Amino acid sequence: MKMKSAKCKSQNKFCILHFALLLPPSLRERKRYLVFAVISEREIDKRELLKEIRDSTYSLYGDVGASESRIWLIGYDKKKDADTGTDVGVGILRCAHDKVEEVRAALACIHSVNEARVGIRVVGISGTIKGAIFS
Amino acid sequence: MPNFFDLNVHAYPETGVPVEEMFRVAKRYGYAGIAITNHDDTVKVKEDLPPSVSNFVFRGVEIRAKSVTELKRKIKLHRGKVSLLAVHGGNEVINESALKDSRVDILAHPCGEKGGGDLSHVLVRYAAENGIAIDFNLDAIIHSKRSDRARTLWKMREILKLVRKYKALMIITSNAQSIYDLRAPREMVALASLFGMRKEEAVHALSDIPEGILEKKWKKEKEVEII
Repeated sequence: MKMKSAKCKSQNKFCILHFALLLPPSLRERKRYLVFAVISEREIDKRELLKEIRDSTYSLYGDVGASESRIWLIGYDKKKDADTGTDVGVGILRCAHDKVEEVRAALACIHSVNEARVGIRVVGISGTIKGAIFS
Repeated sequence: MPNFFDLNVHAYPETGVPVEEMFRVAKRYGYAGIAITNHDDTVKVKEDLPPSVSNFVFRGVEIRAKSVTELKRKIKLHRGKVSLLAVHGGNEVINESALKDSRVDILAHPCGEKGGGDLSHVLVRYAAENGIAIDFNLDAIIHSKRSDRARTLWKMREILKLVRKYKALMIITSNAQSIYDLRAPREMVALASLFGMRKEEAVHALSDIPEGILEKKWKKEKEVEII
């Protein structure tokens, strides 16, 4: 944080320009963060999963629908399951606040990633990443 | 939160996934119970379940028949031995004879596994009279793409319209063959909304109606009539 402010001071002109280009909060699009859990036959790579999520959305809603839902994969990692001791994938996805059910359906439609069978379930939804992680 | 049930799940010995494993995942997803309905022509239907899960897992059978006489014979054979009697539909003749028979509990895949079959308004009326639930198998949506999926959604939308009109029973199931095919109740609701089912209807079709079917709630009147 300190570093950033120091840098900002030195490039004051650019800093002001940067803030001027940021959308004011009232104009920003509202969003929701979805935390999802993936059970799969083998370990799934983030890139593979993202491709499959996009394919599923485009196939289900078409280009127009997909553009409206504004899907963005924030992060994906594996986590140890407390019950069975096996690895499960956990990821966070951002989407438009009024398209949660559509995105949920698109996630539920994914049945395999590169021939490996998977099952995806939405675990929590929130308006902030922090809230989504702790839900 | 209501108790959710998935009444069309295939497990060992048909698929190689043990019943316990299937139920573990289903319980994690928020289901109160599942029914194992293996096809009767692929495996011998066993009556006993592992004791650890017997309170939550119900033994059912899904009858697959090629002719009406075969169907009648099989219904007679399994009647009373299992808690849930489903018929694998698709063919119009099989659909008709299954829906006219009040011993049947569920008609699975009424429009075939790929949306090829048909269900007319007369048949849905029989279903409403006999208390037979029309099954919306969501795996048909999950496992198909493009034109197949569009046709399946169209057929489901048509059946939903008839079911609403005649107030027949409807349930939503996953027809899962492995643990990866199971979907959580809220995902099922979201998938059902793809063919126009409202949220309340979908929740009802996942919780109250399956519970009523297992208790044979809608069969009592008919049995009294026979006596």
